[in-house]
Amino acid sequence: MLNRADKSAGFAIGAALVLFFIGGTLTTVIPPLVDKSWGRPFENHDPSKGPTGKLRPYTELEKHGLAIYTREGCWYCHTQQTRTLVADTKRSGWRGVDSPISTPDEFVYDQPHMFGTKRTGPDLSRVGGKYNTQWHRTHFRNPRDLTPGSVMPPFPWIANDEGEFQALLAYIQRLGRAKDWRPDGDYEQ
Amino acid sequence: MPEGRVAPVGAAAGQTAQQGLHTDTTAKWFLLSSIAYFFIVGIVALTIAAKFVWPELLGTVPYLTYGRLRPLHVNGMLFGWLLPCDMAMVYFIVPRLCGVKLWSEKLGVATAALWNVIVLGAVVMLPAGLNKGLEYAELPTSLSVLVVIAWIMFGINIFGTILTRKYEQMYVSIWYIMGTILWTAFVYLTGNFATQFTTGVNQANLNWMYVHNAVGLIFTPVGLAVAYYFIPRASTQPLYNHRLSMVGFWSLSFVYVWTGAHHMLHGPISQWLQTIAIAFSLMLLIPVWAVVWNFFGTMKGQWHQLRDNVPLKFLMSGTVFYLLTCFQGPMHSLRTVNAIVSKTDWIPGHAHMALLGCFSFFAIAGAYYVAPRLWRTELHSDALANWSFWFFMIGGLGFFVTLWLGGFWQGWQWNNPAIPFIDTVKALHPVWLVRFCSGVLMFCGIVSFAYNIMATVVNRREEHA
Ligand code: HEC
Repeated sequence: MLNRADKSAGFAIGAALVLFFIGGTLTTVIPPLVDKSWGRPFENHDPSKGPTGKLRPYTELEKHGLAIYTREGCWYCHTQQTRTLVADTKRSGWRGVDSPISTPDEFVYDQPHMFGTKRTGPDLSRVGGKYNTQWHRTHFRNPRDLTPGSVMPPFPWIANDEGEFQALLAYIQRLGRAKDWRPDGDYEQ
Repeated sequence: MPEGRVAPVGAAAGQTAQQGLHTDTTAKWFLLSSIAYFFIVGIVALTIAAKFVWPELLGTVPYLTYGRLRPLHVNGMLFGWLLPCDMAMVYFIVPRLCGVKLWSEKLGVATAALWNVIVLGAVVMLPAGLNKGLEYAELPTSLSVLVVIAWIMFGINIFGTILTRKYEQMYVSIWYIMGTILWTAFVYLTGNFATQFTTGVNQANLNWMYVHNAVGLIFTPVGLAVAYYFIPRASTQPLYNHRLSMVGFWSLSFVYVWTGAHHMLHGPISQWLQTIAIAFSLMLLIPVWAVVWNFFGTMKGQWHQLRDNVPLKFLMSGTVFYLLTCFQGPMHSLRTVNAIVSKTDWIPGHAHMALLGCFSFFAIAGAYYVAPRLWRTELHSDALANWSFWFFMIGGLGFFVTLWLGGFWQGWQWNNPAIPFIDTVKALHPVWLVRFCSGVLMFCGIVSFAYNIMATVVNRREEHA
């Protein structure tokens, strides 16, 4: 059979496409049909099933924030996923509380998704409510003022533009909040 | 010729008869533009490496912030340098393997012009912050549409040539080129357009399918097509084994596409899909080893040629990097290894070994081999070409090795939550300094390579003036 592909371009093309499409469809079209959690927003009222809470769509302000986050390439340095590793639950957690693991239903409104591939800076999947407005303003102006040794770039054009700053802040403070995971609503404004 | 061995042309005797048949205008344009972008984007690459050492460098200029230059670096190298250089090779190889003229030289030149519009568009739009927000698919939709059009023009031209070929038997490179053109069409549409209609994990899954296959089903097959052609050509040896090349090609076409989800191991994506991705990632060893065995077999008894054959030096070290990078890949997909190296600086080390160490080395070898033939002259300087090899080699090794060591160390520290995050950042400062210095060496490689090719072209003009 393979010898035929040697001489007939049509046969080679057909075979190469068929082989490709088997894996292509099974791994892209089928999974969201099988695993419904990819498309259903997070909602849980039963404490015995983990953190309770509800995912709501983005507000206009938060959408603007996500657009800034996309534009400035924050996602090349920050991931947004607490993986199934103990170290991740500790590192994304703060003030002594471990972060719950990220689940697909927390991300259904994300367009574009911001999972990321590289952690030059810390994971941001549970950063919402960790710091207050003043902290973020100072940090965006120059990260090294707060964290010496940081390699995060300064973003003065965001810190000095109130509209952009508020939008980005609204987005950051929302991250990871669908799962209401902190005891006694311990979140910063 | 021992049984099973094939020469990279339907009829070896046809070679001399082909002299003067090919005008190669398209190949020339693609080659020269790709080398120009290699140089320009090389400067961007050095700048972002420098920003890790001096984070405030150019820090007040929005257009030059790290998060906007990084996509320019990645897209510029992939779609400005490597892909067009590979396309130049395809425009050179296919007519020769088919024994006919390129189907349409005019269409080819139009494709080259359109390609330049795309790359220049990216050079303006990405620093302006126009970014789709998906890795490797950053180009704004307007440019992605142009890419699709250019790709169709490329496909028509190459398939047109193949269908009018004089030799019935198609050499391995032709299968890989046909595969590249077709798979790329679907992979690119998925990554750039299907993703626009999905969100969250679903979108991420399509995104990783695209990212993985941009390397696996675009740069790998076209890079191997180039290597399959130039290794026998540069060493004047017939290819070791035809059957082995079939095993490599057909296993690649089946196995590669399954593995996208290995980019989200331990992440919020279905466990069963992660397991499938791991299983198929391990199977990737089959197409890789088949190819590498074939290339090494071709060199049997001929290794002495490496001493002063520069294209062959690039080709064979590219093959070694291919073997290594494709050993790393499957290993990263094992859950235990992944828990350490994933998301660390190890990963850029791995990615650069694939796209610089392997596929750019193949493309550079091709450029050194075809430039004198395209312009019917001698290479400007063999000594300089040799220097460029050592710049790339030493710079590349410095880059890969420090990032692996640094990345592994980083991952090890992350897994101990008692270490504050910022200490793991500080620990990498020396690693990033060495990375920058290695980058300077690689940039010297780019400059000496680009200068050599340009001088070859210009000298030839002078001879005729
Ligand atoms: C070059 C890589 C890089 C880029 C780009 C980057 N960061 Fe950072 N980021 C870091 C590093 C490193 C740290 C840790 C040190 C520090 O706090 O500055 C950090 C820390 C942070 C923190 C604090 C996290 C915590 O848990 O303490 C936030 C919030 C943050 N970055 C948001 C952003 C936003 C928003 C952007 C885009 C506008 C961005 N970063 C772009 C590297 C980066």
